[in-house]
Amino acid sequence: MSADTAVPVRTPVRPAGYRVVRVGKRARFLLHRRAALVAVALVVLLAAVCVAYLCTGESFVAPAEAVKVVLGQPSPDELVVGTLRLPRMVVGLLVGAAFGIAGALIQTVARNPLASPDIIGISQGASALTVGAMTFGLTSYTVLPYLSVVGGIAAAALVYVFAWRGGLHATRFVLIGIGFAIALRSVTTLFLTKGDYLVAQQAQIWMTGSLNGRGWDEAAPIGWALLVLLPAVLWAARAQRTVSMDDDTATALGVRLGRVRLGLVALGVVLASVATGTAGPVDFVALLAPQIARRMTRTAQIPLLCSALLGAVIVVLADLLARRLFSPTELPVGVLTAAVGAPYLIWLIIRGHGGRTGGNA
Amino acid sequence: MTTTCPTDADTTTPSRLTARFLTLAYEDRTVVHELDLAVPDGRVTVIVGPNACGKSTTLRALGRLLKPAGGSVLLDGTELARIPTRTIARSVGLLPQSPVAPEAITVSDLVARGRQPHQRWWQQWSDEDERAVTDAMERTDITALGDRPVDELSGGQRQRVWIAMALAQDTDLLLLDEPTTYLDIAHQVEVLDLVRRLAAPAADGTRGRTVVTVLHDLNQAARYADHLVAMKAGRIVAEGRPEDVVTAGLVREVFGLEAVIVPDPVTGSPLVVPGAPWSPDRSAPSAPSPSSSGKAL
Repeated sequence: MSADTAVPVRTPVRPAGYRVVRVGKRARFLLHRRAALVAVALVVLLAAVCVAYLCTGESFVAPAEAVKVVLGQPSPDELVVGTLRLPRMVVGLLVGAAFGIAGALIQTVARNPLASPDIIGISQGASALTVGAMTFGLTSYTVLPYLSVVGGIAAAALVYVFAWRGGLHATRFVLIGIGFAIALRSVTTLFLTKGDYLVAQQAQIWMTGSLNGRGWDEAAPIGWALLVLLPAVLWAARAQRTVSMDDDTATALGVRLGRVRLGLVALGVVLASVATGTAGPVDFVALLAPQIARRMTRTAQIPLLCSALLGAVIVVLADLLARRLFSPTELPVGVLTAAVGAPYLIWLIIRGHGGRTGGNA
Repeated sequence: MTTTCPTDADTTTPSRLTARFLTLAYEDRTVVHELDLAVPDGRVTVIVGPNACGKSTTLRALGRLLKPAGGSVLLDGTELARIPTRTIARSVGLLPQSPVAPEAITVSDLVARGRQPHQRWWQQWSDEDERAVTDAMERTDITALGDRPVDELSGGQRQRVWIAMALAQDTDLLLLDEPTTYLDIAHQVEVLDLVRRLAAPAADGTRGRTVVTVLHDLNQAARYADHLVAMKAGRIVAEGRPEDVVTAGLVREVFGLEAVIVPDPVTGSPLVVPGAPWSPDRSAPSAPSPSSSGKAL
């Protein structure tokens, strides 16, 4: 029967820009080609920045020697590279990646490119609790990071609860977050003025976000956190697709929007809080990295892997500059993160208008 | 030639989707009152009524976008609230009134997202997905637009893309909330013809899809509906075949409009012709105005 009817030959449609990747017999993944290329390019860039980071400092180390140390081979520069620079760089990498992913997730749920942990109160919650503890005499660097994690998560939970009204309204979430951020900042200021001068100075450095004196002890907790949360991040990368639609459409497609959003926000908040606990609220990384990444990949949602890589690039590069610009004085990395990322984002936005249709540089 | 629906029809037609004593409210304002509705399978059901009569609200509840304040919506006899939302999404597709696409998304990417309820984390693209998406884009005539960003399309093209997304979901039931809103008359007809084609039985005799749609235009509703539901103030005033439902009395009762009903010259379905437009000649016959034709525009 069916052989008689001529079936017109038609080209099967696949989502434009994606490639279907088969893994084994049944598993098939959609891979965004441009996002994959950008990720590869970012890995190369990150590697270059890392080598530069390890080579420069009070004394210059040849790139070959630096790579040797990283690979665990004996080298005369073991002490400078392996003990001083490498651990601090690894902390920077992890903090940047965590902020990048956190920003991407929070911006996705809030549907707002300005939403990020340092805008909606997470950083401010972490600061308020940490600075409060400092002024009350608690200065142990083994306890403070955990307090900061608690502060960040508590602030986010409050914002979420207050923004809830039979559902999560994206704009409400951002506005209430901004309100909390302002309130918590004044609480922090109150602590700063009450506390003694030295504590206030120390707190100020922490609040700017700094990698000074960070080493393996700080790298381990955030490293573990990222590793443990990796399955959740992989889930989030897929779930992001659905929450980027409007609520009605997403629900009609069978998405349990409330749960998915809560999951994404919770993951973002935990990552941002852990990163803040490790290095303090390094401003703008979570805001910039996802926006730059998305403009590079031109995907319909914010690409998580590229955001993480870009966050790492920004923090490591900023810390390299922070260490060297006014050496021997070391600046807190937070002073420079915006300086590194913001001009590039602005350039991308300006170029974006002509680039979309014409593509002429 | 024309699609005729069995005349014994509407009381005996099976129904997968039904509403019972459905009461719907926003906050504490009740919009729909104890509504009973059985959506006939394999037919086109059109809900009409004046603005704010609760027709879109009812459609949203049928698609579980709105939780009933009282009563229930049943899919195959089970309350929607008891069925996992993903399972519902494999049987019921819904196109909301003003859907929002993610920024910079391409047409084919958006249509492909209609496959969401059929996909798993590790199965992001099956042969079945490809067939459904290709099919949906062909039916809505947007195959050539596949690589274009949705933001760059015209209103008519965009609406067809959204319909394609709902079609790609490949559901037996399809709920469309005013699908013709942003379209010019040619595209309106195109979309409504597509709706009729979806509901038409396949060559092998299997039943077509069940479509429920809200329309603003009563004449279009009368032309395209198998089953017409007229609502007013949150209640169903009349339902049945358009030729039985659309009468001068109903138009007066539901819309508060004086009109004459004549047979549509093409389809024979009831055509609502409202009374003569206002003109100064009629309201003030003693003072004819030369600018009256200009004002009528």
